Amino acid sequence: MQQIFVAEDLPLTDKLKILSDAAKYDVACTSSGTQRDNHGKGMGNCTEAGICHSFSADGRCISLLKILFTNECIYDCRYCLNRASNDVPRASFTPQEVCDLVLEFYKRNYIEGLFLSSGILYSPNYTMELIYQTLYKLRYEYHFWGYIHVKSIPGAAGELVEKTGYLADRMSINLELPTTEGLRTLAPHKTRKKILAPMRLVQSRMQENKNELTLYRHAPRFVPAGQSTQMIIGATPETDYQVLSVAENLYQKFDLKRVFYSAFVRVNEDENLPMLPGGPPLLREHRLYQADWLLRFYGFQAGELLSETRPNFNVLLDPKCDWALRHLEQFPVEVNRADQGMLLRVPGIGPKSAKRIVRARRMGAVGFEDLKRMGVVLKRALYFITCSGRMLYPVKLEEDYITRNLLQVKEKLPFDLEGQTTYRQLSLFDDCHIPYGEPGVQETEGQVLEAVRSLEAVSSMGIRAV
Amino acid sequence: MTVFVCEDSLDGILTGIYEAWDSRLGHGNVRLELDQEDTLELFCQYRPVKPDEEKAEKVLRTLRQRLGEEAVEHFCQASACQDPRKADALYRMVVLGLSLERGSQVIDCLTYDPVATVMELSQKTWHEAHKLMGFVRFTQLLSGVLYAKVRPEHQVLPFLAPYFADRLRHENWMIHDVGRGLVAIHRGNVGWILTEDKNLIEDQLLQVSEKEQKIQELWKTFHKSIAVEARINPKLQRQLLAMRYRPYMLEFS
Repeated sequence: MQQIFVAEDLPLTDKLKILSDAAKYDVACTSSGTQRDNHGKGMGNCTEAGICHSFSADGRCISLLKILFTNECIYDCRYCLNRASNDVPRASFTPQEVCDLVLEFYKRNYIEGLFLSSGILYSPNYTMELIYQTLYKLRYEYHFWGYIHVKSIPGAAGELVEKTGYLADRMSINLELPTTEGLRTLAPHKTRKKILAPMRLVQSRMQENKNELTLYRHAPRFVPAGQSTQMIIGATPETDYQVLSVAENLYQKFDLKRVFYSAFVRVNEDENLPMLPGGPPLLREHRLYQADWLLRFYGFQAGELLSETRPNFNVLLDPKCDWALRHLEQFPVEVNRADQGMLLRVPGIGPKSAKRIVRARRMGAVGFEDLKRMGVVLKRALYFITCSGRMLYPVKLEEDYITRNLLQVKEKLPFDLEGQTTYRQLSLFDDCHIPYGEPGVQETEGQVLEAVRSLEAVSSMGIRAV
Repeated sequence: MTVFVCEDSLDGILTGIYEAWDSRLGHGNVRLELDQEDTLELFCQYRPVKPDEEKAEKVLRTLRQRLGEEAVEHFCQASACQDPRKADALYRMVVLGLSLERGSQVIDCLTYDPVATVMELSQKTWHEAHKLMGFVRFTQLLSGVLYAKVRPEHQVLPFLAPYFADRLRHENWMIHDVGRGLVAIHRGNVGWILTEDKNLIEDQLLQVSEKEQKIQELWKTFHKSIAVEARINPKLQRQLLAMRYRPYMLEFS
């Protein structure tokens, strides 16, 4: 085996410091999607809902031991801290070290499992092989049955990706940037095809695995928690509409379980990267996540939330309120009669409360007080619903009036808005038409189409499992 | 009005329900209360109820048969919640459930106040149990036993123990509820019990090996370096991980 040339004898603490620091810009730390009891041999199980074990100072959940196998990398992606041209301390784990860390941490209930990503050492195949070996050791030498999320390395051979998939719960490959154009400027060594081909491979293999499992209940399971991906937001000039359309396509055409959005953090000095005087675009990231939820759990489509003429999210209102205000003709909704799909479209009602309403109203008429106890946010919902034909207060069903009132209900954001947006005093004579999007970002219809088309091109190319 | 005063435990409440029903005073004329409430009402007759395993078992069996597993689960979780309303709400829920043609529908009757209360309390307990499944921190003692301290608001050990018994089935571990003086003890490959903490020897709970300290350091290192500086947000962190859990989590000590 080739020797890794930097500091093989680095103490484990330093390695862990370097390699977790290098992994922190990966967003996913979820441990959901697999339900598995302990096999009776070894250690560990998985819970469908996932479990957060701690929260770091940035408020993000820590569920998995998130590390890079190595931060050596032959690629030179502009946005990445570990790019080849950066002078940062480099380190690599050995498979044994990773196993030891995982087992000791897991036993003490620090973590739910392992998130293993890696820089590219020598070649994609070499790196993927190392990752495979680590997982194999963990699963079959130590009989560890906790959660494992593993990155597939762009450009690695199909067989390696497949072999690894049988050991992991979730696999992901980062799309990095929403458009081919963005990828070309910022990640010159990666191409769209190199990223989408393994994604397609995993998808089709999962499909086949489903059939195998119906035939043989104990057939080995391939990536049971599905695959996910991640896009950087704000490093390239895409609009929210483009980003969301790409996400929608990934959900529909690639059966992805999750798409993660990561507000761009400028870690490198590079002329191709934008300056962000206000810090990372957290509000934008937040809006994208809200919309992403609307796509996955609320039955919305990207085209309903945004359009070419309104390519960016409203800064002041969440996407669901925003949609409702533009479709007042569909409201008010009678809570005791509307179907679950329509209930889900009411601001202030989520999947849980919608389900509760549907179950409860079979046993008796539901009133506003009951709604409150079921977890409906009445402050938002009251403009859009009736209970047995009555509204909570006499309110006008009028866009400006409701907007004005909704803006007074302070939205709970996961961060302080200071320096992000400027509030203005609303006056009585204001008609409250809120500007959409940020000035200076002008996008054409063509670019949205291009983003979607490049995805479609790959799906129609018919890249299949080998 | 007759008030049945029961012990704050699953068995206590179940026995209370048995006695209240068995008294044949009419559901409108009886009420269940926990024995910690001290202000006595005028014109009320108070009857203390001694927990009785056999009676509790009878009620639980009936609930299983008539209301179904899901309702029983909510029943148990609500009875573990630290809330004075629970005893009477549970009684009312049982009365309603047994009057329904399909008893399992009782948990859908959210428009009936006691049921809504039970569901709310059940959720509270479950939330805390689910959180602690992540926040429990084991320390390996010199004897090799994994030991964790917690101070939960609700009585969650009965929900945590089976979960860890599956996950760490070959390990010997203890989860110590400091506030209630209870400890769940698991012996590898055998099983777990819930017992009082009188027999724990405090000195032995403090001794750890050098290796243990090193691993704790590694975890602290990881916890620190995984945060993105540009996004530091203690408010959000506090929202998701309340301060009351932190004294028992080594990364915050």
